[in-house]
Amino acid sequence: MGKRERNKGENVKLEMTPMIDVVFQLLIFFVVTLKQEDILSHLDVSRPAPDPNAKPEEQIKDLLQIEVYERGFVMKGRRVGLPELDRQLTRLAGYSKNVSVIIKCTPDSPHANLVQLLDVCAKAGLKNLSVFSL
Amino acid sequence: MAKRNLPHEGSELDMTPMIDVVFQLMIFFIVTIKMDADVNKDITLEEGKHGPIIKPSEDSRMLVVELDKRGSISIHNAHMDTGTFRQIMRARVARLGQNFTVLVRGDKRARHKDIRKVMDICSSVGIWKIQFAAIQEYASKDKK
Repeated sequence: MGKRERNKGENVKLEMTPMIDVVFQLLIFFVVTLKQEDILSHLDVSRPAPDPNAKPEEQIKDLLQIEVYERGFVMKGRRVGLPELDRQLTRLAGYSKNVSVIIKCTPDSPHANLVQLLDVCAKAGLKNLSVFSL
Repeated sequence: MAKRNLPHEGSELDMTPMIDVVFQLMIFFIVTIKMDADVNKDITLEEGKHGPIIKPSEDSRMLVVELDKRGSISIHNAHMDTGTFRQIMRARVARLGQNFTVLVRGDKRARHKDIRKVMDICSSVGIWKIQFAAIQEYASKDKK
């Protein structure tokens, strides 16, 4: 009789240990896995048709060309930095969001420049982006 | 007498937390190994704070193409040349049609001529819309 009662009492006390273990392990698991993930965004572009007969440039009226070089950007024949592009594109998007932006990339320009430019376009709300390769 | 029985019961019950720990570690490793296999850790993405956030569960047909700084193409960490990539794209278009998303995870140090190879192959099979991945928010702030 005495044995049984004591057993029950001890079992109830000792059941906390695995629960605490599980909780700690889950905690460690979530801390470790949450750290690894960066939140990603996607920047959408369209690729122009490769055949020369299509000539999309002539059909679209609102058109802006930006060239991406190894060390910077050129808009309307003028070298511009990212802050200025940001200002200009935001102003432009204020008139119309349907402006088509044609982005021309040189082969040696780093992908970072293109992504920075696309990000600025996304910030301004421009959706009509196409990427040409020079 | 009854108290002397205690050490026996204690040693038997010691197994439970150990099994718990082992199971938890097993689950931990299974989950993390799967994550490792999916993405190339060498790729450093450029920041893009203003694009829409990618939700992995949103589009199950999305194809993630990775391009490292040397211009090597890989899908799910399997590296391939342009010929193989073209074949994969052709097979995928034949199976799913042309309305699936292609997400390019291009390293920020990759040259545009390598990005262009991926885009050209995509457009040669009729996919004109391409998404570029960028980092909207770093997981830890000191990682910049």
